[in-house]
Amino acid sequence: MLVYALTAGVLFGLFYSLVGLGLNLVFGVLRMVNLAHGQFVMLGGFAAYLAYVRLGWHPLVTMVVAAALFLGIGYLLYPLFAPRLAASTDPEMISLVFFFGVAEMIQALAVIGFGNNQRSIYAPVFGAAPVRLLGERFPAAWVVSGGVSLLALLAVYLYLYRSRLGYATRAVMASREEALVSGLSVGRISALAFGIGLALAAAGGVLSPFLLGGVNPGVGVGLTMTAFAVVVLGSLGNPLGTVLGGLIYGVSLMLMQSYLSEWTNLLPYLLLLVVLLVRPSGLLGRGVRHA
Amino acid sequence: MRMRRLIGWRMAAGAALLGMGALVAGCGTSAAPTAKAPTQITVGTLYAGSGAFATSSLPEYQGLQFWAQQVNAKGGAFVKAYNKRIKVKIVAYNDQSSATTATTLYTQLITQNKVNLLVADFGSVLTSVAVPIAREHKTVLFDITGTGASFFTPNNKYIVLTSLPTSGVWPESLAGFLLHKGIKRVAILYLTNDFDQSQATTLASRLKAGGVTPVYDHGVPTSTSSYNVLIHAMAQSKPDAVIELGYPNNDIAFLQALASSGQHFNMVFTVFPGQLLSLLQKNVGAKGLAYTYTYPTPPLLAYNKVNYGLSLSQFTKAFQAQTHTGVNFLTIAGYNAGLVIQKTLDTAKSLRQSDLRQAVAGFSGKIFTLDGRFRINSEGAQVGETLPVGQLVPTTKGLQMVVVYPAKVKTGSSVYPAP
Amino acid sequence: MPRVWSGAAVLVVVLALCLVLPQLYANQFLFFDLMVYLALAQGVNILYGFTGYLPFGYVGFFGTGAYGMSLAVLKLHLPPVPAVLAGGVAAVVLGLVLAPLLRLSGAYFAIASLAASQAVYYVVANPSLTGVTRGPYGISLARVYHPSQSYLVMVGVLGLTLAAVLYLRRSRRGMVLQAIRDDPQSAAMAGVNVVRERVLAWLASALIAGLVGGVFAWQISVFYPATVFDLSTSIMAIVFTLFGGTGTLLGPVLGVTVLFGLYNVIGVSEPQYFQLIYGALIVLLVLFLPGGAASLLKRRGIDVL
Repeated sequence: MLVYALTAGVLFGLFYSLVGLGLNLVFGVLRMVNLAHGQFVMLGGFAAYLAYVRLGWHPLVTMVVAAALFLGIGYLLYPLFAPRLAASTDPEMISLVFFFGVAEMIQALAVIGFGNNQRSIYAPVFGAAPVRLLGERFPAAWVVSGGVSLLALLAVYLYLYRSRLGYATRAVMASREEALVSGLSVGRISALAFGIGLALAAAGGVLSPFLLGGVNPGVGVGLTMTAFAVVVLGSLGNPLGTVLGGLIYGVSLMLMQSYLSEWTNLLPYLLLLVVLLVRPSGLLGRGVRHA
Repeated sequence: MRMRRLIGWRMAAGAALLGMGALVAGCGTSAAPTAKAPTQITVGTLYAGSGAFATSSLPEYQGLQFWAQQVNAKGGAFVKAYNKRIKVKIVAYNDQSSATTATTLYTQLITQNKVNLLVADFGSVLTSVAVPIAREHKTVLFDITGTGASFFTPNNKYIVLTSLPTSGVWPESLAGFLLHKGIKRVAILYLTNDFDQSQATTLASRLKAGGVTPVYDHGVPTSTSSYNVLIHAMAQSKPDAVIELGYPNNDIAFLQALASSGQHFNMVFTVFPGQLLSLLQKNVGAKGLAYTYTYPTPPLLAYNKVNYGLSLSQFTKAFQAQTHTGVNFLTIAGYNAGLVIQKTLDTAKSLRQSDLRQAVAGFSGKIFTLDGRFRINSEGAQVGETLPVGQLVPTTKGLQMVVVYPAKVKTGSSVYPAP
Repeated sequence: MPRVWSGAAVLVVVLALCLVLPQLYANQFLFFDLMVYLALAQGVNILYGFTGYLPFGYVGFFGTGAYGMSLAVLKLHLPPVPAVLAGGVAAVVLGLVLAPLLRLSGAYFAIASLAASQAVYYVVANPSLTGVTRGPYGISLARVYHPSQSYLVMVGVLGLTLAAVLYLRRSRRGMVLQAIRDDPQSAAMAGVNVVRERVLAWLASALIAGLVGGVFAWQISVFYPATVFDLSTSIMAIVFTLFGGTGTLLGPVLGVTVLFGLYNVIGVSEPQYFQLIYGALIVLLVLFLPGGAASLLKRRGIDVL
């Protein structure tokens, strides 16, 4: 049972790493909190459902298409809101209000467009038989989802640490002001980061019906909150930390489900509190300012 | 088709909040019922247009709307107090599944719209806040599916549960079935909310009284959506019967996870296939539901011998013709609430709330609708309807509901263990 | 007119309106709910406007107050008003336990307080505590239900809250707090006990939410844990405050009146598109009024107190 819970936790956690990473990237680069992140994930889930039911697309195909689409949408949307928000006295916090409004709109449109009912995709689309892993049987969708998340995380890692644009992105994350002074086109880099954030949300969203039993317009809020917990657990602004945060979240959740199910939801939050109190900057944080 | 229910002053009154002081202008225009026959009977209700309860709330609201259209097509509901037919008008607000918003809106219906009859939104959470308000304003609350035991108390005469028994009573026949079958290893997985936990508590205590101690009996938070590890943990206790008590989305997630887990149990029971079969089937497929058990409710239980309102087959036909949507239990429950209201108007000597409640007590036990026998106890809780145990058996024509317990309503034998 | 008097005038006008409006428009709960958000927004304002900490999990104190009040009635058989005070005390105790969170800053603090509120919720609602909190079965206070009395007590709590903000706007303590917010190092060097001042503001804001939660429990009297630990309560209070403009007395009042007003106008007139219109309005307002509604007044030279 222990091995099963741990492995399931890692697979499940990788999904949350993917969801959290998008949020973290947007916060790190834009210094804005995307409170609508979970709603974008939800849209990804509906994309997977509709593409599968109407067009017969395999979810992995949908994933690539949706991610590309959301990347473009994010890139184009950025100049419409970000400069205006940045002009306010406290952009980091006023962005909360802005994205709260965006979240409400997305959710309302999803209700109008897709209805309130739970939608799920016939799970055996990834193979009917459970997959054997470490001597235990796991649903094929979980294993595929874990693998795909890992690949997506790797791609983001390569982008951030092995490409010129990624290097510039990290420079903006480290200090927006210095990046501006040194002549980087902060606006374009930020727009791209926002696009990538949404793309990651969409990618995670496509996987969500398989891990969360389905998708409905109401799942966004919970996803945003969990993504936040995962991000902070690992440390804001550090992409690698988010991966660790997701894994810790997934494993602790599954351990609780196995051994103390009544308290399942408590542990991740307690864990987050303890981590923050002991290591305030998150597990992989480099230390934040404190007075 | 949607009821027209926009009253201009409401907007004016709300807008006044903006300027706070400007409110004075917006009031004083509401129409209170006079001693003469009113031009219409207003039925106030809430629905959840979005959020956690929308899936269940909207069909229920549709059922009530359908009832109003049926009645109005005949010139209105017969109101004994005025000895004539009067048209029915539904006033409805959207509470978006929030109990706090619902509190404001219930108060709005009573104090501003001064509705003649008050109908609760779906389920215990959204009904709970209406209970004290209705009582305070001495207004009878027609509660469709709010089955929390705490709503029904000896000194509250302002509530009538029209459809289901309180949730703690639901598993009586399920426990009976398990004991009858001699199933010794039972696993119970429930959500820790009033609705599911009260069922789990009753089930476990009935089983224990029959000498069976569940091998697995655990609660999980209502937000649970990932059941894979839980199924694995349950399987470790080697149960013959797995009882999962959830809300619709949890049941879907559970059955999905079960289908892809590679686990097999001799008996699997969930709550909502019996109420929302087409939704569940759409999500987990006929294969995912094959041989599972549930509490069958109308339309899966066919009550065609009715003495009030449409029979099930008439209702199904008329409802589909008009709305082009399928019938599920909640549309029937909404329609049934309308029937109870209709009968109340038909027999109450005045539209005073105390007379309305007295009228309900008067016909309790005497009407039999497509939802079964309507009978309430002195506290207003439903005791006429029962929830048997049924099994979904795959046939060439799709899934067939076979009622397997108790003996007097049985339509076939259970297939146990499930293949 | 000296500012302190105009501040007092605002307080009197708001309270008088809260007392008079239900006489004119009988939906008393609407105004009760309005007062709940007026008070919660000022609670957020005390913390965020004066110390820069944004409490995402503010609803934790609200729910704790609601449960503190209910348990004082059910277990200790206290009358409702002392029980509301007990709710406030319960929230302050929780505030003391969580005081170490103030070591965090910015988004870290926001998320940590959110986690704390969720942790409290999952403990209160846990089935193993059914004997104490009634767990998932929720609370019924039918015995002490008295909506008109609880309404009056709410007016009192709102008055206290507004007075507290006025005090902070006018006193040395308020200035000290804002100095800490803007530059903690210099404040500390100037001999200010940074930690003590922050903790006091934190506890004051916890006390407000606790009292409000206590009166709320009394007013609705039948509720489930999810009703009083609803995260959207936090989010709405924060959005209202930020929208109105923080660090002032009038900003949050304005924010709540406009956004809560819109919420209810749209809610009763356009139920189908409720959420969409509401979201769109917030987006537009923030984009074209990023400094908060109070900035409009400020630009026209109106004192926002």
